[in-house]
Amino acid sequence: MILRERNLELTLPPGVKAWKFDDDTHGLSHCMKAVDFIVELADRFLFIEIKDPEYSSATSRVQQKFIQDFQSGRLDEDLKYKYRDSFLYQWACGSLNDKPIYYFVVVVLSNLTEADLLARTEALRRQLPQQGPSSGVRRRRIVEDCAVFNLQTWNSKLPQYQIRRVRS
Amino acid sequence: MTITRLKLERFTAFESLEVEFSPRVNIFLGTNGTGKTHLMKVVYAACDVTKSDRGFVEKLVRVFLPAEGAPGRLVKRYGQSTRCTIEVSRDGRKLSASFSNHTRVPASATVTGMRGWKEERIEAVYIPVKEMLANAPGFRSLYAQREIHFEEIYADIVDRALLPVRRGPVDARRRRLLEILQGAIEGRVHQENEQFFLRNRQGNLEFTLLAEGLRKLGLLWLLIQNGTLLEGSVLFWDEPEANLNPSLFKTLIEILLELARGGVQIFVATHDYLILKEFDLQKHEKEVLFHALYRDEETGEVQCRSVFSYVEIDPNAIAQAFASAYDREVERSLKGIR
Repeated sequence: MILRERNLELTLPPGVKAWKFDDDTHGLSHCMKAVDFIVELADRFLFIEIKDPEYSSATSRVQQKFIQDFQSGRLDEDLKYKYRDSFLYQWACGSLNDKPIYYFVVVVLSNLTEADLLARTEALRRQLPQQGPSSGVRRRRIVEDCAVFNLQTWNSKLPQYQIRRVRS
Repeated sequence: MTITRLKLERFTAFESLEVEFSPRVNIFLGTNGTGKTHLMKVVYAACDVTKSDRGFVEKLVRVFLPAEGAPGRLVKRYGQSTRCTIEVSRDGRKLSASFSNHTRVPASATVTGMRGWKEERIEAVYIPVKEMLANAPGFRSLYAQREIHFEEIYADIVDRALLPVRRGPVDARRRRLLEILQGAIEGRVHQENEQFFLRNRQGNLEFTLLAEGLRKLGLLWLLIQNGTLLEGSVLFWDEPEANLNPSLFKTLIEILLELARGGVQIFVATHDYLILKEFDLQKHEKEVLFHALYRDEETGEVQCRSVFSYVEIDPNAIAQAFASAYDREVERSLKGIR
């Protein structure tokens, strides 16, 4: 199965249930944000958001602005709401079961170093309610874990879910 | 006139090393024991002798402090008779020194090029890892009168900090840098009887009561204010990140780059990713030369690879450490995904 976001393609192994979430069928984009893809594996859900400032028609100004927002943490706010709204939407649809949900963000910027990705992963984790309240009232986790990748680290860590750029 | 090149043969950790320098900013990085500080001390000694009566090898001994003051102990250890050579170059001039592992006193070393080398003075400043201004009162006289086991860079930096303000107006660039630093340290530095204070609206705060990182910025303020760091001078800074909160790195690097653009040649040794990154983010093209020191896998000898581009630094010991941490972080996040 292949899912597409602009001219990036996510290839999934046969039998995996997955769908593009952030498209015209969403219907609530005026008030709720959405991650790009949702993948359901045997033991977990993956919420996948792709940020692609290197798409072919992006101007250098757009790229520069994105890099600044990303490195300064301004983008984390947007990423947080994308996760929360996607979770709520899927909950309302009854799509979620007891499987844990992992939130993965792929930033298509070739000059991002592992130090940048490590810092952004930690920052994103701080934005998400990964830990429950100390009272212990929570019955299930809202998000299991998260990570930020660039294209290279995604494809090296998750070779079974390759993302590649194709001609538009 | 800037330092252009350093060549070492069989000196301390180095079998054979030749490094070309940028007239603006030079950054040394590498794992512990690859000789970053040694390189800076050699070049500093060569700069400092232009304005003192000390010989080059005597100054090397004073900044390296080998046992019994024997220059021979600075020769790379082979277990047999060996001779080291040191060559420092600046536009058209060369200062060389050579001595064997049996050399006991600086006067026995061979030094060439000193006369031409000293024709033009170089104002050089070496900021060591350990902050010294808080210990300044009485240190100079103690150092001058007694044999205390302190590398001379510590006495030198106190001397530089205590210099009175240079005559003449402060130019706009210096004034701007001073204002940036004043913002960071929230005051100005004031000196009385060799004791340093941070002066602001609340009064005078002794340097001993001030955070060590802020004392270092205070030192930089003094060196700019008293005119030590002017066009043609050379600044060496060993691990500027030490004791400084990373939130101040952006300001610090902005100041260092501005000094370099004003004609101060800068040498920095660092272990810190953010220091490197700030230089990378703020530099102009061909302004900062990164010198990666590493041990050759086959020979085990220290080598140096110099590049202007941050992404081309290879090997980058700091980035490798982050990559390892990132790999383990992602493994944790993936939790056995199939």
